[in-house]
Amino acid sequence: MRKSRIKLALELIAIAIALFFLGNSVSDFRVYEGATVALYVIAICSIILLTGYSGQISLGHGALMAVGAYAAVLARYYWHTSGLLSLIIAVLAAALFGLFLGWAAARLRGPYLAGTTLALAVGLPSLANQFHFLGGEQGLNFDIGAPPKFLGSNFSTTKWYFWICSLAALIIFWLVYNLLHSRFGRQWQAMRSAPVSAAISGINIARSKVLAFTISSGVAGLAGALLVMTLNLVTPSAFPLSLSFAIVTGAVLAGITRLGGAVVGALIIVAIPDIADQIAIKAGGVERVSANLPGFITSLLLILTILFAPNGANIGKFMSLRKKKTS
Amino acid sequence: MRLLSTFLIGVSSGSIYSLMALALVLVWRSTRVVNFAQAGQAIASTYLGYLVITHTNNYWLALPVAMVAGAVIGALADIALIRPLNRRIKSGPVLEIAPVIATLGLLGLIRSLVGMIWGGDLKQYRAPVSINGFTFGHTTIPFSRFNLLIVFTAIVVMVIFAFVFQRTGLGLALRAAAFQPEIARLAGVRVDLVRTIGWAIAGATGAIAGVLVTPSTSLSPNSLDLLLVLGFVSAVIGGLESLIGAVIGGLILGIGLALILEYVSTSLAFPAAFVVLILILIVKPAGLFGMKRGRDA
Repeated sequence: MRKSRIKLALELIAIAIALFFLGNSVSDFRVYEGATVALYVIAICSIILLTGYSGQISLGHGALMAVGAYAAVLARYYWHTSGLLSLIIAVLAAALFGLFLGWAAARLRGPYLAGTTLALAVGLPSLANQFHFLGGEQGLNFDIGAPPKFLGSNFSTTKWYFWICSLAALIIFWLVYNLLHSRFGRQWQAMRSAPVSAAISGINIARSKVLAFTISSGVAGLAGALLVMTLNLVTPSAFPLSLSFAIVTGAVLAGITRLGGAVVGALIIVAIPDIADQIAIKAGGVERVSANLPGFITSLLLILTILFAPNGANIGKFMSLRKKKTS
Repeated sequence: MRLLSTFLIGVSSGSIYSLMALALVLVWRSTRVVNFAQAGQAIASTYLGYLVITHTNNYWLALPVAMVAGAVIGALADIALIRPLNRRIKSGPVLEIAPVIATLGLLGLIRSLVGMIWGGDLKQYRAPVSINGFTFGHTTIPFSRFNLLIVFTAIVVMVIFAFVFQRTGLGLALRAAAFQPEIARLAGVRVDLVRTIGWAIAGATGAIAGVLVTPSTSLSPNSLDLLLVLGFVSAVIGGLESLIGAVIGGLILGIGLALILEYVSTSLAFPAAFVVLILILIVKPAGLFGMKRGRDA
């Protein structure tokens, strides 16, 4: 069921106000985690758009996040662009990269696309080590600037990041929601579930796929730029293979076709390291165990979800008794 | 001399890519899954081989142990993960991505387990023979006894593959189950069992690749990721369907990368491999040895 554009906007504004008060009432560390959740929401939205709707899989969105991140940092570092402009450049650069990649990807299906994007995720971030102007292993600093003066002198940077990430997440959520319920969203769904019929109905499959890949890449690029903003630094190691896996996991956990699930997926992805730490401490706090427990839990969840609840852990079903028809 | 030496190094690393590609192709043919967990299965087997080496100091014992471990892990992966997955998911938006997600999950699971048991620090694997290059008169070339051993082992494995597939009943069953599972089943082939055997053979092959590549680098829970990607590229060059294609794809990639590393730049090896992958997929999507069926299946 499509919510009206206005109704969704009002709901998102209500969430924004709730987040505003939440951000003021919890510790700095939780605020930081909140910013991380928000940027994961953005990244997971990009996967849901791509995989859940247009039916293309990407294991390389971590690499696209890296493209966005490096674009933002380089723009700020060498051209001294403003924070907002840097983020826009991140979106454009990643979208451009996605356009090129999507052009090749539109010809591929399933395992070929998965393998190609995996290759990208393994190789691309390490390229930064090879070229001097990208800062190598030490990376480049990324400082988006202090919070504006009118917010007061004791307004922390963390909270500023949380505001930026949350606002970006709400805007992206609104845009992607409307996009998925537009002509394009319907075309993607038609293309995914019945490619031949879709083509007969006059949908240009290749163009549709490339469009989905381009938009998804742009959104991922924004998430990448926000990620390095919260880290204050861009390095190749900020974009490991596990990042690509994590956002796919987040998308699958909450149901690959449910945009609202992005929030649940992001919360789980961010909560897992915390929970794993608690377990590891109880288990004796051996370093090699605690370092690998988050990956273990994430992978286990991913396998269990795909085996037992392939359309996502249907949290919506528990929250409302109304049975929703899944697309 | 430099060209010949580079070529030989390429053959040596290419034969390892070939082995990885063989493992991927074998699983793809039997179950239509590109097994991303192959890197995980191989790394677990390689660590078990490491355990043998540290206790007995014997590389020759480590190789069969890793192979058996790889076969067991491969068979388990099929029985515990892929079979239930195929039973459960028959339609829906996740149908196409489910195997990818499942093998990805398995990769993460095995890698984190390996990390928990052995830790994340780099381990050294002692090669059984010298890794210093051969010397002719006054010049020493990078190609070493160990490289020769790699090529030799790979050839032995490939000859066994060829024999099993072309000359034995098992090979016929493997080919039949991959080609027409329904008809093979009607003809009395136990397709599920044969598929599991395919996974086991692939697991053992991946383990060999892991044990062979590790002495030249070092061992850590994610040290085989790159090998997985290069194996995949090799398999795609060969068409993902053909065993001989996988071998030749691996050799082409190995020699090509060696030439680039030697004559162009060390930093361009990975982008080159990626460009080759994209080019092959765009220009000749069925691979050099693939069937004409295209890439939709």
